Amino acid sequence: MAKLNGITVIGVWTVALFFALADLALAAGKPMYKKTIEEYAVPDVTLLSQEGQEIELQSYLNTEKPVILDFIYGTCSTICPILSVSFSHFQRKLGEGKDGVRLVSISIDPDNDTPELMKEHLQKYGGQEGWDALTGKRENVIEVLKEFDSYVSNKMDHFPLTLLRGPGEDKWVRLYGLLSASDLMKEYELLVNK
Amino acid sequence: MGMRCILVLFVLLFLPLPSLFADELIEGYPHDEALRLGEQMYRHGILPSGKPMEALVMGDIPFDGRMFTCDDCHQRSGLGSEEGTVITWPTNGKELFAPRRRTGAYRPPAEGESPDGRRDLPRYYQVEDARPAYTEKSLARLLRVGIDPGGRRLDPIMPKYRLSRKNQAILTYYLRHLSSELSPGVDETTLYFATVITDNVAQESKTAMLSALQAHIDAHNSQSRHESKRAASGPFYKSEKHKAFRNLSLSVWELTGPEDTWREQLESFYAEQPVFALLGGITAGSWRVIHTFSEDHKIPSIFPITDQPKISDTDWYTLYYSKGLYQEGESVAKYVRSQFGMDGNVKIVQLLREGDSKASALSQGFNATWEEMGGAGVQELKFGADGSLSEQMWGEVFAGETPVLLLAWARESDRKLFKDIEAHGRDGVTVFASSSLLDNEFSVLTDTLREYTLVTYPRSLPGTEKRSRFSVERWFKARKIPLTDFDLQARMYFLGWMLPGAIKHMRSEFYRDYFLEGFDMMIDQDYGIAVYPRLTFGPGQRYASKGCYLVKLSPGPSGEMVPVNDWVTY
Repeated sequence: MAKLNGITVIGVWTVALFFALADLALAAGKPMYKKTIEEYAVPDVTLLSQEGQEIELQSYLNTEKPVILDFIYGTCSTICPILSVSFSHFQRKLGEGKDGVRLVSISIDPDNDTPELMKEHLQKYGGQEGWDALTGKRENVIEVLKEFDSYVSNKMDHFPLTLLRGPGEDKWVRLYGLLSASDLMKEYELLVNK
Repeated sequence: MGMRCILVLFVLLFLPLPSLFADELIEGYPHDEALRLGEQMYRHGILPSGKPMEALVMGDIPFDGRMFTCDDCHQRSGLGSEEGTVITWPTNGKELFAPRRRTGAYRPPAEGESPDGRRDLPRYYQVEDARPAYTEKSLARLLRVGIDPGGRRLDPIMPKYRLSRKNQAILTYYLRHLSSELSPGVDETTLYFATVITDNVAQESKTAMLSALQAHIDAHNSQSRHESKRAASGPFYKSEKHKAFRNLSLSVWELTGPEDTWREQLESFYAEQPVFALLGGITAGSWRVIHTFSEDHKIPSIFPITDQPKISDTDWYTLYYSKGLYQEGESVAKYVRSQFGMDGNVKIVQLLREGDSKASALSQGFNATWEEMGGAGVQELKFGADGSLSEQMWGEVFAGETPVLLLAWARESDRKLFKDIEAHGRDGVTVFASSSLLDNEFSVLTDTLREYTLVTYPRSLPGTEKRSRFSVERWFKARKIPLTDFDLQARMYFLGWMLPGAIKHMRSEFYRDYFLEGFDMMIDQDYGIAVYPRLTFGPGQRYASKGCYLVKLSPGPSGEMVPVNDWVTY
């Protein structure tokens, strides 16, 4: 009995050690963002591009290309720069392939973010063709934010969000949290290689 | 010992002295230059060599240090921020090179400090350090690999930088000096403010501005929450909050005489009583001199009443309600683009009186915006003191069949000008006028003129601000202050409404930059302000009102306003 107890104890400790190591391994590889699949109806609103051109959002997003969308504002000092650096790097990594994807940043501070400032924002982050920064009437922007479940009454309370939709898809991949370059690339590849 | 030996000894003895007394060099740079270079790294992401800093964020995203900088998150003050789900800890010298505790409320007695019963907590109540103090070595490690002196790996949002030992030393030197001593204008009991009034302001306006401002100061100083008493006897975990309380003192700096003497007067007032910030203030002309004074001394100037602020994308220390007259001109330019396009199919003529600085501000706002949007070909005509323009000029203005946009930056007294526009006008003419320049007196616009005239209106439309107007009126009534100039007093009411938030935000960290950052982080306002539909804030945004209506006036004496655009025009 005593011998059996000894074996049992060793067995229990081995199993416990296994789970502990597994936890550590999972924690190390655990993504820092939360991924969900969502269905959004893109509102029928008109926004403005960084060139000051009117953009019908529904038809603009109804494209054959995969779409990656985020929400930013020009004078944001924390998460928006990271989101924009991420888009900029993503375009560089894609190289020629960048023309096959549409990147969209929509301002959550439309009173301040004029098309001219949006253009400056893209220039600051080295944005290339294929990445648009949209602004527009406050009520239109709020409608978009509400539809994408990302509206906050105080823009300082905004959160990092990246939305992806594959060509011809109805559903959006919602990634809550800041992404590394490899995270974004991995999610993009999952989207296009479906 | 000969004379020669004495001379040699003398030289040997005193030769090294200058180097002993010289300023310590930091990596070969004198103090000021090292600070400038460190600031350049911290705020602009540029190395002393002029090259951008290289960094990695989120573990694997390389970026150019100019894209976002240390002060984006840690702020110009270095006191950190809370924004977008990210809490950024302070990085100023005082905090960085001292142990960081889990709560700022508890601070152990300093060496030699007399014991304080409220600080002698049982061990189980004592909080542990969140991290030990940084050293030069541990700070270098943090910046390089993202691990703090406590061994914690920081969130990958904190970039990892590739810095040479020399550049690392310069940045560290800057951080040691960043917000290391409290700003001038504060002592153990009092936070000193001043308000600036120029002698071109009517007595009634001066009284209206001061009465509102002083009422806010008095309300704060009344200590309705018994702040001083609580600071003396409250529990330790509230000590930071209560000990931060300061009475507010308001000096009135009245500037007299010619504008070119104002700077000297300001310097004299400041030498007599250094202030932490300027609150409100009023001028009938330009705020430029006071703006420059604030910028040079790094003194925040909050919401002065002026329709001629200094327009700058980069200046930091003055927070205005709006760009004033300039913003009206700017909005007209944007409206013209949105309605008439930029392809040169309209003739644009600006009319203004020679030497009228307010009309010039309107004109500059239009021109700068129009040019920034790629427009050209704006004609500018100066009319005489009696509002007249020669017949020949009128003929040239309305020649041909091209639609004409006439920007009549004229005053109510320029009746002849408006009469002549009506007399010489033809189909295809649109007139723009400024409600501010007309002082909201629209009788010069006849019913006929109103059919093709649009007026800039940079405030809430009449009748739309009832709720906020009521709040303002009740506040003044409760304090028995006569409401003589609603527009002005409502703006001072709003300043006082925002002030407690910005002061509380500082806690005991009385740094001017941190004070301004409190305003930067404010939620957009549409309740406390009765003059504008809304005011919006954000880091570095220095003109809180971003819009201006263009209205058409209905015929008749009531002249109801019908807006033809949204508050913000793109």
